[in-house]
Amino acid sequence: MTDLFFIAVALGFFGLSIAYVYGCERLRSPAPTAPITGGNHD
Amino acid sequence: MTSLASLQIVIFFGLLLLITKPFGSYMTRVFAGERTALHRGLGWLERGTYRALGIDPNQNMKWTTYAVAMLMFSLVSMLFSYAALRLQAFLPLNPQHFGAKQMSADLAFNTAASFTSNTNWQSYSPELTVSYFSNMVSLAIHNWASAAVGIAIAIAVIRGFASKNLNGIGNFWADVVRCTIYVLLPIAFLGALAFIALGVPQNFDAYTVAETLEGATQTIAQGPVASQEIIKQLGTNGGGFFNANSAHPFENPSPLSNLFTLVLIWSIPAAITYTFGKMVGNTKQGWSIFGAMAALALVGMIVCTSAEQAGTPHLAHAQIETVATATQPGGNMEGKEVRFGIAASALFATVTTGASCGAVNAMHDSFTPIGGLVPLFNMLIGEVIFGGVGAGLYGMLMFAVLAVFIAGLMVGRTPEYLGKKIEKFEVQMAMLAMLILCASVLGFTALSSVIHLPKEGALAALNTWPGSAYGASDSVYGAATGNLNNSGPHGFSEIFYTYASGTGNNGSAFAGITANTPWYNTTIGFAMLIGRFAMIVPLLAMAGALAKKNLVPASSGTFPTDTATFATLLVGIVVIVGALTYFPGLALGPIVEHFKMQALATL
Repeated sequence: MTDLFFIAVALGFFGLSIAYVYGCERLRSPAPTAPITGGNHD
Repeated sequence: MTSLASLQIVIFFGLLLLITKPFGSYMTRVFAGERTALHRGLGWLERGTYRALGIDPNQNMKWTTYAVAMLMFSLVSMLFSYAALRLQAFLPLNPQHFGAKQMSADLAFNTAASFTSNTNWQSYSPELTVSYFSNMVSLAIHNWASAAVGIAIAIAVIRGFASKNLNGIGNFWADVVRCTIYVLLPIAFLGALAFIALGVPQNFDAYTVAETLEGATQTIAQGPVASQEIIKQLGTNGGGFFNANSAHPFENPSPLSNLFTLVLIWSIPAAITYTFGKMVGNTKQGWSIFGAMAALALVGMIVCTSAEQAGTPHLAHAQIETVATATQPGGNMEGKEVRFGIAASALFATVTTGASCGAVNAMHDSFTPIGGLVPLFNMLIGEVIFGGVGAGLYGMLMFAVLAVFIAGLMVGRTPEYLGKKIEKFEVQMAMLAMLILCASVLGFTALSSVIHLPKEGALAALNTWPGSAYGASDSVYGAATGNLNNSGPHGFSEIFYTYASGTGNNGSAFAGITANTPWYNTTIGFAMLIGRFAMIVPLLAMAGALAKKNLVPASSGTFPTDTATFATLLVGIVVIVGALTYFPGLALGPIVEHFKMQALATL
């Protein structure tokens, strides 16, 4: 049981690290925002 | 400082300078995939490894792919080590019949995290805990793998600065394979033979039981020490075959083996600065980094050696001779091997903590407050004084980015480094890497200084995990500070040093702290993983962003970074950032202890 706990901890840490990789990449090139539509274009 | 101490420093730096250029040039060729003299004998091994593992060494990986490959490799090897340590009773090469009783679950987690992250913190006594199989396979494998990963990351970060308009920073698998086969393997093979010649044992015998002259029985631990010792030092790993580490005569038999060890520890970190210069097309850039590292190292060596040689006022008050003479070393000899004395012990302490090695030939806990502050500060500034293999260079490049950013702020222009514009994202990533280290060191230190583990309730579960050899022990209940040998500022230094060492992936201990408890094993385990991987990811992100940029031609307004002026600025940034972040902690620990010592001496 304790072994499973620590294995889960290791998997969780590295899982979060992979999310962290893509988080950093997202920070560098944020997803394009939707074009502003509507409103008064006069 | 004695003249002997000065001479040792001069000889050590002389040897280091001698190998930096040829070794650095050699590594440049290895990582560029060029043929070297060793390809004739070892090329088949590289090609065979690629074929067996389905690796295309020419595939240029985007930084995210590079980072995920590194993380997955580390995860799998960590889980392998965890399993092998817990199952050592069922595995071969275990003449002492060690099992899971010696290697509890929390200790196995701590140890697997420790070796995966190149820390090699040891919460246990190796000769009383791990089998030869555990030592040679589940642990030594990381001495190779984690060193190769560190060097690969540094090379990838250099590629970020060196390349232009590229989407990739190299191939992780090719970098690791080339590093292992052409850099680590040949040196480790020859170095292990050199250690054997210097008196280090290499066998698979059970421990020898001897009868002493007084008639008592003594068990003499031994085993395949030389093969472990060489990669331990070369890869800045630091985990000892014996609990006494490099203070043990079987690991470090003589002053000559001590000097050999010191050069090994800094050989790759020093040479990679030249590799950096070669790869970015200007070797002066590498020497500038080397100069900054050497300047920081020299100050630490002088302060530490002088403090230890001066001894303590208590010794002088007790009319004990503290001045070195022909017949005795003077100074503070507590915790030091008489084979090495003060000079070689202080030099070793600054070298091992400047690098992320963590091997020790003296007990840092027994150093004077100022003598002990030097290794602690070396770790707190991120181990950038040559540093760990690869880790030292990418850590220093993080500071270089901050240095050009701050210089840019002062003169009001966009900072550049090596022809690349340093913009918002690069500075964000450099700051993220640095702040994560600070948060881990200070956060865990603060937590362990105040936490009180109750006998009942949710936190009590930490003390009673099934499989923990310490589950029923009273020592793991109550305040975490109850695990310290000393109270007051020295006790605080023990905790501070522990998490600085863990987060910095150093692995040396201040001793005096019983760290083999579920609380410390788990939190130090996290500190080591955070210190390694949470720092590498933003630096790879920075490299990926830089690789995509074009080179900006140098103009009259460009701040030159291949000069002594830049090296001085770099030293200033490292010291100021370290001092501003950690001064309150240092004031509560070694600084107040120093003044207490001085005050007591006057009573």
